[in-house]
Amino acid sequence: MTDNTDLSFENRPETEPDRELFEAYNERTHLFGRIASVITLVLLLGAPFVIGAYLGVSPDLRAAASGFLAIGVIWLVSCVAEWLVYTPMLGAGGGYLAFITGNLINMKIPCAVNARDIVGVKAGTPENEIVSTLSIATSSLVTILVLAVGVALLLPLQPLLQSPVLTPAFDNVVPALFGAMAYKYFRKNLDIAAIPLLVMTLLFVLVPKLTGSTSFMILPSGAIAIALAWLKHKKAGGEKL
Amino acid sequence: MTVQSQLNSPFLYLLCGSIILFIALVSLFFLIRAYKAGKAMGLDTAKMKRAITASATFTLLPSVGILLGVIALSGSLGVPWPWLRLSVIGALHYETQVATAAAERVGLGGLSASSMTAQAFVTICLLMSLCIMWGMVFSSLFNKRYLRRLNQGSKKGGGVPGFGDKAMTAMFIGLICAYLGSYLGGFISGGGLFSFGGSWLPLAVVLAASLAMAGFLWLSEKKKLVWVESFSIAGSMLLAMACAVLLGKLQ
Repeated sequence: MTDNTDLSFENRPETEPDRELFEAYNERTHLFGRIASVITLVLLLGAPFVIGAYLGVSPDLRAAASGFLAIGVIWLVSCVAEWLVYTPMLGAGGGYLAFITGNLINMKIPCAVNARDIVGVKAGTPENEIVSTLSIATSSLVTILVLAVGVALLLPLQPLLQSPVLTPAFDNVVPALFGAMAYKYFRKNLDIAAIPLLVMTLLFVLVPKLTGSTSFMILPSGAIAIALAWLKHKKAGGEKL
Repeated sequence: MTVQSQLNSPFLYLLCGSIILFIALVSLFFLIRAYKAGKAMGLDTAKMKRAITASATFTLLPSVGILLGVIALSGSLGVPWPWLRLSVIGALHYETQVATAAAERVGLGGLSASSMTAQAFVTICLLMSLCIMWGMVFSSLFNKRYLRRLNQGSKKGGGVPGFGDKAMTAMFIGLICAYLGSYLGGFISGGGLFSFGGSWLPLAVVLAASLAMAGFLWLSEKKKLVWVESFSIAGSMLLAMACAVLLGKLQ
């Protein structure tokens, strides 16, 4: 039965006013996102100097510069790669917020992808832009709240959270997250997942040191998966997939 | 006054708390704006609320994990600074590495409360900020142009139509594969090449989480308990972490 009141985002016909509203919304999102990012940058870079003034010292700029040249360049490359890869997934609002609030791989990206799937929207659409922003903003607020409560209750909570009994649980938050996500995504895309999983396993088995650079290995793994998805998509004739 | 008590002083709590409050207000502003825009564009409010609920439940457990990161770093850097870094821009797996590397660069030989000085602390803080801010820098400089170019590319038919969404899903599958590969590799070669002496616990947790997720999806899809889906990730993680506690004793 065809139902004109189908509330699914994907089935809702897009009208011109919708498009205009979205364009206006998006334009302002970039403005607000940039303002928020610049203010956050100033606050984060300024804080060490303010703390220094309070403690009666100033940061050792020479050590900071040499430290940045030694270790910062690696993180610079990593941050740029993350920005290139994740911005298309998150859209404008979600992107600005996610890069301000951090914890991308272990929280924000899976969170936004999960919300997108539950609601049923496609990447690159106005609906995805809204849902992604809602998801990242909610996730950030919850994290801020949990950490604030946790810090307030740090003394009574510390023995519980650091008890040896619970250590294996908190050491395995990320495997628990990716285990759940793996089932959800692999069951319908086993043909896309099998080869990158095999290649990654072989690489990590043969070069055990790579386990310290897992976040970098996402790029080749993702590239293989995208190439396989592209072949599958092309074979199925574009939209028919 | 010792360095550690200075790093935990009310002034630092106030400073870091104020920055966190600013970020919370920014997040709230974006949340309300997106909700109102979605409503104005005719998006289903029930679905938007579902996205919010699912994201909130999803975030709870990883947030507790991040709190442990705050506790771990608080021993050497005090509570306020790690609280700020992990609430705002940082990531659990980055901050500890950068803080340790930064401590070595300022001559401490590692993160250590006993050898921490006020100047070393503020230099480490500055280095942590400098190292992990580039996503935000690139985002504020190039997001608009980058997203516009991506949209133009898809509108012009630069690729096979409808591939963008599948590419994003594939990228995410690639991300999961990298992590699962690292757990398998860690188990097989973690204790020496093909020694099978590495930790098997992450693999067991992955398996437990997958099974739990299968159960939740069965309830949601076969038993039509659609509401379960919003809690499926958080529920699966909780069950898998409980398994980790039980299996951890066998390791």
